[in-house]
Amino acid sequence: MAEEKVILKVENLKTYFDVTKGIFSPKQIVKAVDDVSLEVLEGETFGLVGESGCGKSTLGRTIVKLYEPESGKIYFDGKDISSIHGAELKAFRKDVQMIFQDPYASLNPRMTVGEIIKEPMVIHKIFDTDQEREDRVVELLKIVGLKPDHIRRYPSEFSGGQRQRIGIARALAVNPKFIVCDEPISALDVSIQAQIINLLENIQKEMKISYLFIAHDISMVKHISDHIGVMYLGHIVESGPAADVYRRPLHPYTSALLSAIPISDPNIAKAKQRIILEGEIPSPINPPAGCPFATRCPKATERCTREKPEPIMVGTRQVSCFLYEK
Amino acid sequence: MSLLKVEDLTTVFHTDQGTVQAVRDVSFELKEGEVLGIVGESGSGKSQTMYSIMGLLADNGVVESGKVTFDGEDISRSAFATKKEYEDKMRTIRGNKMAMIFQDPMTFLNPVLRIETQLVEPLMNHTNMSRAEAKERALELMRMVGIPSPEKRIRQYPFEFSGGMRQRIIIAIALTCNPKLIIADEPTTALDVTIQAQVLELIDNLRKETNSAVILITHDLGVVAKLCDRVAIMYGGKLVEIGTDKDIFYDPQHPYTKGLLECIANPEDDEDKPLHPIAGSPPDLLSPPAGCPFVDRCEKAMRVCKQYMPPVTEFSEEHKARCWLQDPRAKEV
Repeated sequence: MAEEKVILKVENLKTYFDVTKGIFSPKQIVKAVDDVSLEVLEGETFGLVGESGCGKSTLGRTIVKLYEPESGKIYFDGKDISSIHGAELKAFRKDVQMIFQDPYASLNPRMTVGEIIKEPMVIHKIFDTDQEREDRVVELLKIVGLKPDHIRRYPSEFSGGQRQRIGIARALAVNPKFIVCDEPISALDVSIQAQIINLLENIQKEMKISYLFIAHDISMVKHISDHIGVMYLGHIVESGPAADVYRRPLHPYTSALLSAIPISDPNIAKAKQRIILEGEIPSPINPPAGCPFATRCPKATERCTREKPEPIMVGTRQVSCFLYEK
Repeated sequence: MSLLKVEDLTTVFHTDQGTVQAVRDVSFELKEGEVLGIVGESGSGKSQTMYSIMGLLADNGVVESGKVTFDGEDISRSAFATKKEYEDKMRTIRGNKMAMIFQDPMTFLNPVLRIETQLVEPLMNHTNMSRAEAKERALELMRMVGIPSPEKRIRQYPFEFSGGMRQRIIIAIALTCNPKLIIADEPTTALDVTIQAQVLELIDNLRKETNSAVILITHDLGVVAKLCDRVAIMYGGKLVEIGTDKDIFYDPQHPYTKGLLECIANPEDDEDKPLHPIAGSPPDLLSPPAGCPFVDRCEKAMRVCKQYMPPVTEFSEEHKARCWLQDPRAKEV
């Protein structure tokens, strides 16, 4: 087998937000993404799971350069893109697209479906004539399972699932190599979620696009992803092949998160012993000094509250926990 | 004896676009201390069924027909001569014998009132407790739902609580008068998984302690599997299948129930089989199909399904479905 190509590489990425109120108050920094490293291979899906506020969306948005990172490097297709501007940034935006969570808010209600899907092609000057673009829009509509005559309609005439299809068609319009899917299914009904997941999988198979798939629904993430990263309070605490992480979680947070998923099988669900975590996620404004999970971890020792564990390799997996130190 | 009995409930909404037939001919029963899950997609009528029972419909909503018996009393709108009589009666029941937990913990609580006021008020309204006694009971309830240092937190305002903690407060408010029935409308949808696990565990423990019956409205089959004794599946305003948890998950009869179970990813499967989504989208309830509401998305639809509403077929005393395929008159398929 040929060497697997790394399409996206993130090294020690940090994204901070200054939330200081008033000029005389002490400085308050939200460490939304704190020292994250990950690799996504070409044509694969990297799933990012975690609870709200863990920084998974911020990480996705920093990767597509919607936020400026505080420090750290992002390599896309071998090129350092952490500080590109102007024409270079525009070229990068053509390669990397995004699908958003809320299909109601992410489409301009005053533009027709055709205009929405055409706009990225106009911006990136794909095709010379409008007719060619129009033809491409029709083709894209077919790919995402909509009808060609939907082109003159407005987003308000579509259901949530159909709108998400429009969002996918818009992302595909510029032939991207990489798509960041930020919770693309969490606003949809169960029977529609499966439609969108299958659509994304088929598109990946045909066009060899890599995904960063951000979601809190671990069952779906496990289904669609090749690799999974589990985020907690701005850190990736564990990452590795999807099935391994699910079958044999190493980090105590991963175990707790997995045991909390409701399984849709009454015998298993009613017998299942949950690891119930005490308390809630600490504020990222003053994160704990040691391991981010130490305040809720059932296995925490005194050392965990003092020192931050470095990521270590355990088999195929990377985990940040003192339990696995040799 | 059943605690709640709903017979042929039909609710419509009059809108500018026409009449929306939100709940069509829904019947079910609930025993004391039982947990019934009502599952359906958005717009399937699951929440409106509950609002109709409690008399909480929006102004343009009308219960057209049907009978609701709760705790031996007929509480259907038609049992009362005037709207005022009905509403006065319902006001003595809601928050007292029948309580509700809402989906969004952010909007349910009044942001300008202390938690204390919001917990003490229903107690003073529905019982003869003095303010001091009511406060004592409020603290006890806060302890029961697992809120640390309740003496301090009872003086706080809702914005000082996190989502999971607010949902606990709402559960505490629901429990104030030892209700016989708790209706929980998507109680954990707005919460994170680990917090959802805490809240579900709490609801499960509390209902065992208090022996309240629970109706859990949700679209999450995992939550249903964890908590419910019986499950009702709604689609297009109709109750299409009802049975015990085992009936629904291991022996589903209606094609929609089967489809629903097939389109969720089971993380316990090692090989990731492709999902089987149900093609199409739910019917428009402004003009629902004359026959089965699921006919346009059903792989096994027959000619009869389009024209006539399928009757209810009983597989056992508990397990019923509304589908022509199961009708004894249908040809073997």
